[in-house]
Amino acid sequence: MMTSKQWLRMFLFSLILIALLICVFNYVTDPFGVFGDHFFQWYSFNFTKNPRVAKIAYLDRLHEQYDSYIIGSSSSSSFSVELLNEYLDARFFNLFMYGAYIADVTKTVQYIAEHYEVKNLVLNLGVVNAQKYDKGSDLLTDILHARTEGSSLLKFYGKYLFANPAYGLEKIQSFKRDQYLPQNFDVFQVTTGAYDKSLRDIERIQALPDYYEKYPVFLNYPQREYELDYLDDFIASVAEIKNLCEEKNINLVVIFFPLYSEHARYYNPEQVEELYTRLAAITPFWDFSLHRLSTDPRFFYDETHFRNALGDMALAKIFGDENKYFPQDFGVCVTPANAREQAAKYKTEYIFDDSNYTVEVPVLMYHHLAQTSDGPLIVSKEQFAAQIEALAEAGYTSVSLQQLVDYVEKGKELPPKPVVITFDDGYASNYEIAYPILKEYGMKATIFPIGSLIGKNTYKNTPHAIYPHFDYRQAREMAASGLIEIQSHSYDMHQSQKYEGETARVAMQPLPGESEEAFIAAVRADFARSRRELEAQIGKPVFALAYPLGKYSDLTEVILNQMEVKVTLTTEPGINTLIKGLPQSLRALKRINVDENTTAEKLLQKLGR
Amino acid sequence: MSLTSPLFFLFLVFTLLIYFTLPRRYQWFVLLAASYLFYATGGIKLTFCLLLTTITTFFAGLLLTRLEKKNHKKLVLALVLLFNFGLLAFLKYYNFAAAGLNIFLANAGYTLPTFSLLLPLGISFYTFQSAGYLIDLYRGKYRAETNLAKFALFVSFFPQVIQGPISRFDQLAPQLTAPHDLDYDRLKYGIQLMLWGYFKKIIIADRAVVVVNKVIDNFAAYPGSLIAIAVFFYCLQIYCDFSGGIDIVRGAAQMLGINLRENFRRPYFATSLADFWRRWHLSLGDWMRDYLFFPLSLSKPFYKLGKKTRKLFKGKLGKIIPTSLASFIVFFTIGIWHGANLKYIAFGIYNGLIISFSIVIEPYWNRLLQKLGINPEGRFWLVVQVLNTNLLVFCGRYFTRAASLGAALQMLKKTFFSFQPNAVSVQALLNLGLTKTDYLIVLLGSLVILGVGFAQEKGKAIRKTLEQKNWAVQWSLLMAMLLVLVFFGIYRQGFIASEFIYQQF
Amino acid sequence: MEAKVLSILAELNSDVDFSAETNLIDDDILDSFDIITLVGELNDTFEIEIGPQHLLPENFNTVAAIINLIKKLQAGG
Repeated sequence: MMTSKQWLRMFLFSLILIALLICVFNYVTDPFGVFGDHFFQWYSFNFTKNPRVAKIAYLDRLHEQYDSYIIGSSSSSSFSVELLNEYLDARFFNLFMYGAYIADVTKTVQYIAEHYEVKNLVLNLGVVNAQKYDKGSDLLTDILHARTEGSSLLKFYGKYLFANPAYGLEKIQSFKRDQYLPQNFDVFQVTTGAYDKSLRDIERIQALPDYYEKYPVFLNYPQREYELDYLDDFIASVAEIKNLCEEKNINLVVIFFPLYSEHARYYNPEQVEELYTRLAAITPFWDFSLHRLSTDPRFFYDETHFRNALGDMALAKIFGDENKYFPQDFGVCVTPANAREQAAKYKTEYIFDDSNYTVEVPVLMYHHLAQTSDGPLIVSKEQFAAQIEALAEAGYTSVSLQQLVDYVEKGKELPPKPVVITFDDGYASNYEIAYPILKEYGMKATIFPIGSLIGKNTYKNTPHAIYPHFDYRQAREMAASGLIEIQSHSYDMHQSQKYEGETARVAMQPLPGESEEAFIAAVRADFARSRRELEAQIGKPVFALAYPLGKYSDLTEVILNQMEVKVTLTTEPGINTLIKGLPQSLRALKRINVDENTTAEKLLQKLGR
Repeated sequence: MSLTSPLFFLFLVFTLLIYFTLPRRYQWFVLLAASYLFYATGGIKLTFCLLLTTITTFFAGLLLTRLEKKNHKKLVLALVLLFNFGLLAFLKYYNFAAAGLNIFLANAGYTLPTFSLLLPLGISFYTFQSAGYLIDLYRGKYRAETNLAKFALFVSFFPQVIQGPISRFDQLAPQLTAPHDLDYDRLKYGIQLMLWGYFKKIIIADRAVVVVNKVIDNFAAYPGSLIAIAVFFYCLQIYCDFSGGIDIVRGAAQMLGINLRENFRRPYFATSLADFWRRWHLSLGDWMRDYLFFPLSLSKPFYKLGKKTRKLFKGKLGKIIPTSLASFIVFFTIGIWHGANLKYIAFGIYNGLIISFSIVIEPYWNRLLQKLGINPEGRFWLVVQVLNTNLLVFCGRYFTRAASLGAALQMLKKTFFSFQPNAVSVQALLNLGLTKTDYLIVLLGSLVILGVGFAQEKGKAIRKTLEQKNWAVQWSLLMAMLLVLVFFGIYRQGFIASEFIYQQF
Repeated sequence: MEAKVLSILAELNSDVDFSAETNLIDDDILDSFDIITLVGELNDTFEIEIGPQHLLPENFNTVAAIINLIKKLQAGG
C-alpha cells in the first residue's frame, strides 16, 4: 500500500536514479575518452569512436610528448610518423581525423597552435577539400571537442554523460574480444595517432589480377562529377592556417596527397586550375596528386586512400632521402610559377604501365640432396647439376634475397631473367653436393637452416639419427664465398613429432590451447634467437625467414614484420611479382618446388610461365 | 513540438509548475498561454488559421444565441461551417484537386497552380471540435460562451490540439476554466497513463514502422507474405502510435486536472467492422454519428427513401437501406477526412460497403448459424468474429498505408496471389531493418498490450489493482517500465557501432 | 403507449427485456442503426418529429425516457 504522494516521490527518485546510473556508467566506460578513460585506458578504442574528440582529450594530457603534428583526413595516416621524426628531428603525432572536413582541420590547428608546443605542421590536403567544407553533424561520433570548437563544455560533457549506454556496452564487449591484431573497434596506434596498419602492411601485393580479385572496387570505379563549391572557404582556411603558422613560427609543410587516377576525373580541370593558382599564391605545396603511379591500384586502398608505401615515397622526395626508392618525377613543389602547368595534370590521360617498376622473380625450393636419389624429395647430385646447367644455359641469373630487397626498397635493378635458388632445413648435403656445383656455375643461393639443428646429425639432444646438418664453420665458408646467403628457418619451430611427441611445434603455429599472448612471445623469442645466433656466427644480417612447412598467418607476418623481417617465404607454388617501393611485394613469397622428378626441361617449363 | 520530444517533457513540467503555483483563478489563463505557446512552436503563421477558426466560431456562436428566426440561424450556421470546412478543405485538398483537374484542363491549355501549403497542426481536430460546438448551439443544447479567451482555450487546449480526442464543449470547457487543486492521485494517474502511451509509441510503434516503411515503400521487391507481415506491423504501428499518443495527451491533461474522453476501446477485440469503428477513434466516430449520420438519416429525403424501400423490400432489408446509405456516406467522409488521395476514398468505400452489407445479410447469417447449431453468443463464434474483424481491418489497412490506390491494389494482389510463404525466414525478417532483440521487444510488448486489453475488456481496473500492491511490487513495475522506456526507447537510436564508423579507410 | 413502444423495441432486438434496461444507449444495446430505425417507427406510430437534436443518450436510455420524449413532442415541445 502506498499513497499517491509516496508513489510520486518514488517516481522522481527512480528517474534520478536511472539518470545517475547512466552518468556513472558513461563516466566509467568512457567510450569516447572525454573523461580521461581512467578505468579502461583504451585510447585506441576511443580514437576509433571519434578521433576529433578522443585525440584532443588524449593530447590535452600528453601533448608534452610531442612537438609536431600531421593533420588532415584519413589518408594522412599514410605519412609515417617515424620517417618524419627522422627527417625533421621532431616528435610527431598524427592528428588526422577520418572524414575530416577542412572546417574541422582549421579549428583543430587553431586549438593546438594556441595550446600546445608546435614546431612542425604537416597539412595533408586534396582537391576534395574544396568540394565539401563542413559536415555540420552533431553526432557524438562526428563532433569536435568543445575545447577545439570553443563551445560550451557543460553541454559537451553533458552530451557524453548521457550518451547512449550502448557505446559503453560496446566498449566492454570489445574489450573482451580484443586481440593482438587490430580489429575494427581499435584501429589506432595510440602513441603515434596513426592507424594501426600492421595488418595492411603485410598484405602480399604482387600481380595486378590478384589485387583486383582482392579489391574489386578498382575494376569498375563509379563515375561522378564533383563541383568545388567551397573553393573560397577552402582557400580562406588554408590562408588562416598559413598566417597562424607564420605568427607562431611553425614550419608548415602542405602536401596534396596522391590520388587514384580515376578519382581525378571527378573534377573539372578549370576549377582545379583556379584552386592551384589561388593556393600557390598563399603557400607553396608539394603535389603528389597525379603521377604514373596513380594508375596503379596496388598503391591504393581505394580511390582516396593511398598506401603507406606512397606516403614513404612522398616524404623521401620532400626531404631528399637518397636511400629510398621513388620515381624521380614523383611529386612537384607547386609555386605561383608552375601552378597552372601542374594543374594541367588533371586534363592528362595517364596510361597504366608498370614495366619499369615491376619484375617477375621465380624462387626455387630445394631440401636435401644425395649422391643418388632415395625418393622424389631427395635430389641427386646428377639431377641438380643438370638443373643448374639448364638455368645457366637458358640465361637465368641467380639473385640473392638481398638483391630483391634492394630492388624493392632502393629501386636497384635486377639482372635479366632473375631467379632465386633456396634450400630449406640446412642439410650438410647443401654444403657437400650443391655448393660445389653452384660455385662451378657462379650461381647464388639462399639456405634456411633450422637453428637448433645446425651441425647436428642426431635430433637435437637425442640419439635419434637424422640427415646430417652443416655446421657453422661450413656455413661461414659458404657465406664468405659471396654466393650463399644464410637466412632463418626458425630456431626451433620446425620440431619433429616423431621425436618430441604430440606437443611438438612442427611449424610456426599456436599449439593447441596456447594463448595468443604466449604464442606471440614464443615466436618473438624463437626468431630473436635464430637471428642472434646466425648473425653472431656468420656476421651477416638476417632479414628473411622461410616458414617451416610453409605455414604462416596474419599474426606471424605481423610479428615478423615488426621484427624487421623484410622477406618471408612460403611453399605456395607460383612466380612472384616484385614492385619497386612496395615492401608488401616481398611478403609470403611463392616458391617452385624442385625435386628429383623435375628434369631440366620441366624446370625451364615451370619458369617459362 | 512532438509529444515524444524532450522539449515537450520540459514544457509540461514548467506548465505544471506555474499552473499549480499561481492563484487558482489564473489557472485557465496559464493553460491558454501554454496552449498558444505550444501551438506557436509549430509555426507562428499557422497560428493565424487557428485564430481565424476560433474567432469566426465564437462570434457565430454569439449570433446563434441571439437570433430568433430559425432560417437566420440556419444561414449563420451554414456560412460559418462552410467557411471553416472550406478552409480545411482548401488547405488539405487543393493540390489534390488541382492536380486532378489539370489532367482535364491540360487539353484546354490551362493549368491550375499548385502551392506548397503547410497544413496547420491539428486543423481537422480543432475544426471538427468548433463545428460541433456551433451545431450544438444551433440545436439549442447549451448557451454560447461569452468570453473569447475561454472559448479560445477550448479550441486550442494544448495536449489535445494536435491529435484529439475531439471534445464536446459542454464536457470540456467547464473543466478547462474551473480551478484545480494539486491532486496527487491525478498526477500519478496522469504520469502512469503517459508512461503507458510512451511505451506504445516509442517501444512498439517506432520499431514496427521500420519494417513497414522498408517493405511498403518498395513493395515490388517483396513477396506477398512479407508484404502481409509489413501490413500487420502497420496495424500494430498505427494503433500503438495513435492510441499511445492519445494516452500521452490524456495523461498530460489528467495531471492538469482535466479529464479528456477516451478515444480507443481496445479495437482489436471488436466483433464486427461496425463494432471496430465504435472502438477506434471514438471521438471522431461519435462526432460523425451526431453531426452527420443522425441528421442525414433523419432528413426528409432519407425519410422518403425509407418509405419507398420498405414498400419494395419486406423485412429488415427495406428498413436498412436508407440507414446503410447514410453510413456509407459517413465512411466516405471519414475516408476523405484522412487525406486527399483516392486510396482514402477507396478505404471509406471499403468500410462502408462491408458494414452495410453485413447488416443486410445479418438475418440470413443468424438463420444459417442456427441451422449449423452454432450459438451466436457462444465463445467459439465470438473468437471467429474477432478474428474475422481483424482480418477485415487488416485488409483495409492496405489502402491507408500504400502510397496510392494502385499500389494498394497491387499489394493486395501480391498477398493473395503470390504469397510465397517460403520467403519468410529468420534472415528475411532480419533484412527488414529490425534486430532479433527488436522483434522480441515488439512481440513481448504486443503481448503486454493484449494482456492489459483483455483484462480491461473483462472489466478489471488495472491501475486500481496495482495500487493495492506493496511498494516493492510497485517500484519493480515502475523501474521496469522506466528502464524499458529509457534503454529500448530513448536510447534505441543514436548509436553507431564501430564497424560502421571505421569503414576500412 | 408503453406497450406500443415495447413492441417496436422488441422488433429491433427480441433478446432484450427492454422494460428492465436502464442504459440502452450507454451500454451499446441500441446502436446508431437501431436508433434510426426506432426513431423512424416512433415518428410514424406517434406522428411526431424526432430530430437529430433529440438524439441524446438521456432521451433513449430507458423506455420511460423514450415515452417522456414522445409526450414532450406530442405536447409540441
